[in-house]
Order: sequence, then C-alpha cells, then structure tokens
Amino acid sequence: MIVNESVLSLGISLLALFIAGLLATKVNQSLTAVFIVVGMILQNFFPVTIITEFIAMLGIIFMLFMFGLEFSVGSLVNNQRKIFFSGIYDLIFNFPLGLLIGWLLGYDLIQSLLLAGIIYVTSSVIVAKSIIDLKRSANPETEYVLNVLIFEDMFIATFLAFIVGISNYGQIDAKGIFIVILKTSAFFAFFVVLAKTSKKFINKIIDIEHTELFVILILSIIVLSAGAASYVGLSETIGAFLAGLLLSETKQRHRISEAIKPFQQFSTAIFFVAFGMSIDYKHIGGMIPVGIFIFIISSFSKVYGGYFIGGKYALSKRAGLRLGLSLIPRGEFSIILAGAISMNPSVPYPIKSLTGVYVLMSAIIGSIIMKESDWFIKWFIERKDTAVKQTKDPL
Amino acid sequence: MSEIKECDLPGIGKKFTLALDSGDKLVVVIQFSGEREVFKFMKGSDEPSSVTTLTDEEARQIGAILSGTYFQPVLGDEQKLMMKNVTMEWIKITDDSTLANKKIEELGIRKMTGASITTIIRGETVIPNPRAGEIIKPQDTIIIIGNNDQINKFISTFEIKQRIENDRQ
Repeated sequence: MIVNESVLSLGISLLALFIAGLLATKVNQSLTAVFIVVGMILQNFFPVTIITEFIAMLGIIFMLFMFGLEFSVGSLVNNQRKIFFSGIYDLIFNFPLGLLIGWLLGYDLIQSLLLAGIIYVTSSVIVAKSIIDLKRSANPETEYVLNVLIFEDMFIATFLAFIVGISNYGQIDAKGIFIVILKTSAFFAFFVVLAKTSKKFINKIIDIEHTELFVILILSIIVLSAGAASYVGLSETIGAFLAGLLLSETKQRHRISEAIKPFQQFSTAIFFVAFGMSIDYKHIGGMIPVGIFIFIISSFSKVYGGYFIGGKYALSKRAGLRLGLSLIPRGEFSIILAGAISMNPSVPYPIKSLTGVYVLMSAIIGSIIMKESDWFIKWFIERKDTAVKQTKDPL
Repeated sequence: MSEIKECDLPGIGKKFTLALDSGDKLVVVIQFSGEREVFKFMKGSDEPSSVTTLTDEEARQIGAILSGTYFQPVLGDEQKLMMKNVTMEWIKITDDSTLANKKIEELGIRKMTGASITTIIRGETVIPNPRAGEIIKPQDTIIIIGNNDQINKFISTFEIKQRIENDRQ
C-alpha cells in the first residue's frame, strides 16, 4: 500500500515540477528556485516518502558525478594562477563572513562552518546559464567570473568531504581534524593514482558497445565509489565527484555524460523538491528577516570582492562591477551543504529552513540583478564620478 | 596577420579574440554544445555591440564562405603572391595507405606536417572542411593545403605514392 501511494505522490510531484518548470522557463527564472517552491507547496499534501528520499540522495550523487565528469582539469591546469588568485580573494571576502554570522546566530563551530560554506558558494549552474542567456560569454569579466566559480566548486567539493567527515567524527578537535584530513587526502590520492596509472586499463574496461551494460557499468562505478566514501566515514558526494573526475579523462566521456544525464536530471529535480518539502513552514516566518539580513550583507561582500578582483586584473570599473554583480545567486551547492549534516533541531535558526529562504531569495533576486545590472552600474559610476568631482579626490 | 588570443571559459567553452586592423575586436565563443557566438566589440568598449549565434552547421557554411571555398574575388597582387606560396595537392587514398580508415583527428596531420585537409572527395560526394571526427576511407581523394615544405613533409610522413596532377600551376 505504502509503495503504491508513494509512487502516486512521486508522479504528482513530477507533474507539478513540469508545470512549474514550464512557467519558470517562460519568465527565464532558475529551475532550482522553482523546484524548491514546488516542494514547499507539496509538503501540505503528502509527506516525504522513502522513495523520494532515496531518489533525492541519488540526485546529489549524480549531480556531483556530472560535476566531476564535466570538470575541465585542462583549464584548471592552464589557468591555475588566475583561478587560484581570483578564487582566494573571493574566499577571503566571503567565507569568514559566514563564520561570523553563524557565531552571531549562536551556532556551534561545525554549524558555523557549514553556514559559511552555504553563504560563500555562488551557484555555477545559475550564473553560467545567465551568462549564456544574457550573451555575456565574450565580455572581459566573464572569464574571471568563471574562474571564481571553478575555484569555489573545487573548494566546496573538498569542504563537503571535510565537514561531513568531521560531523561523523562528532566534534572538532585536533585529532578529529587530523583523521578527517588524512582520510580525505588518502581517498583523493587513491583516485589520482588510479587516474594516472590505469588510464589505459579504465579506457579498455568501459569500452562496451552494449548500451544497457554500459549504463549499468557506469552506474556501478558511481554508486560504488560513493558507497566506498560513505563506508570510510566521508561524504558520498566526494566519492561520486572523484568517480566523475576519473572518468572525465576517458575517451567515453561524452557517451557517459549522455547516458547518465537523464538519471541526473530526474533525481536532482526530486532532490530539490525533497529539500523544499523539508523546509518547515512554522519556522519560515522568523527566518525571513534573518535571511534578508544575510542576503544583503553577503551580496555586498560578493559584489565588493568581485569589484576588487576586477581591479586586480585591470578590468574597467563597469566590468569589475558586472563581475561582482554576477556572483550573487546561490543554489545547488548551498542546498547540498544544508542537507549534508543532520542537525540538532533545537537550534534557534534551523539551517535547512534558513538556507531555503536564503537560496530562494538569492537565486531569484540574484538572477534579476544580473539581468538588470546595467542601470545599476550606470547609476553607481555616475554617482562616483560626481563624488570624485566634488571632492577632487583621485580615486 | 593579427594574433588570435585563445582563452578557456570553464563550463561554457572556448573564446577566441581577434583584434581587427580597425581597432575593433571580433570574439568567437565556441560553446561545448557546439553553438558558436560571434561578438563584435567596438574600439575601447567592453560590451559587445552585436551578437550573432550560429549552429554548428551554419558556422561551417559561413566559415567556408569566408575562406573563399565557394567564391574567390579577383586576387590582388599581394594575394597572388600568397597563392604562389600556397599549394593544394590532390591525393588518392589507396587501400594500403596509412591514412585509410582513420579519423582525421587521430592522424595529427597539422601537428606533424603543417598541412591540412580542406576537402574529401568520396565518389560523387564532396565534403568541404571535413570534421575532425571524419574517417578517411580507401578510394577517397583528399585535397590538402600548405606551403611546399608542408606538402612535401606530408608526402614523406604518410608515404604517399599516388599524387594526382593538379590543374593549377
């Protein structure tokens, strides 16, 4: 009986997703935000079932796998200096801020770290899509935006492994940090060695003509490495991510991506719905002022950080501002982080609901800001110019 | 010839920037999806003044038109001089050729010899600007372009025996 009902509710969820998604694409809004809203509405009609939870978990695994698969190790190596420095500035401007806010909200250290990660990481999915839609791919600031995103994603993938490891260990102390870092590095090292030494072997194994067997083999690689990571007390996501990286160097990369994409799109959508369903309405009222506060502060630090990076790389003021204004939307990674650790529900500001409010706000308003950045930049620069004229201060 | 700057756009594709003699800039972005975007930046501006989006197919056609495959205007002296140094060579692929049954990209022709394949003639069909993934088949005729050194290097590298006399010259 339970199975039947949960299958029905899954079907209803999917239909709702389709309709909402269709409307969202009409007004060019990010699907992530819309899917969460769908989840928030659906929680009034039926609970999160085991099936939804299971698919949602696969959703994160597939998302991280695709992220690893499409991650361009080549461009990381080619532009490592630029990526590193723009990334570090962005990190300095935005990560400690989240820690501070976490402390102000009365979180413990693990929760504060988690919040810092949530506030820090810009949504590469939303931003990259907006860049293409707004025809900005050739703009001078765009490569810096993308460099920041690639650094952030890399950082968060590692951070995720660390924070889940620490939370499994139970507390933050020297020994715990040491053990978790050791485990994470060993896991990374294993995949790096595998990628370096067994390239030909891997290529040979996955070179299977039979479509069905090919999909099963790839799925087994993904789920096995996710499971292995979980078994040694790390996050499943890091296992999936590394499996993606490993396979990204093979000749079959494109075919793998084609084969796994439908699974990923389906399960990721369900993941966002499940997240929306877990946002507690009772708490949301109190969350909104705090969410707005965090959104405003963190948007300022993102824009200022971006403007600063633009200055460092001799971009014009306009391009620098556009760089900063392109970094506001938060999305998939913030949500993955929020759901990564099961929290003590007695904290005054449950991190899941807070993240829900925060991501919704920044994904929607952030996309609008990106689109409408021109008039803001114009206003800002004109204002600054008149200010400069008045004070005769060569800024 | 002006320099073309190449730059990775992680997650989107690759960007090629060409500074024109007029001072304007032409930027081509090739997305991973295969779509091409052509942007024009006026001198000193950091926002594009025009954007054109092309599919893979359209981009190839435009490319062929721009490179003069379909129509060649009357050549000026300077261009005639260039054509003197550039040779096109028609090559018949024999069954035992080292080129046969291989993808163009596998062969690394441009890297090894400097010459490139501009056209494959296969029976009645002509494939201008073949893709890197195109497989060269026995009995194809391929047209390669390069200067004399590059052509000679091509002939020696791939042990070509059968050259077809070329009607230009």
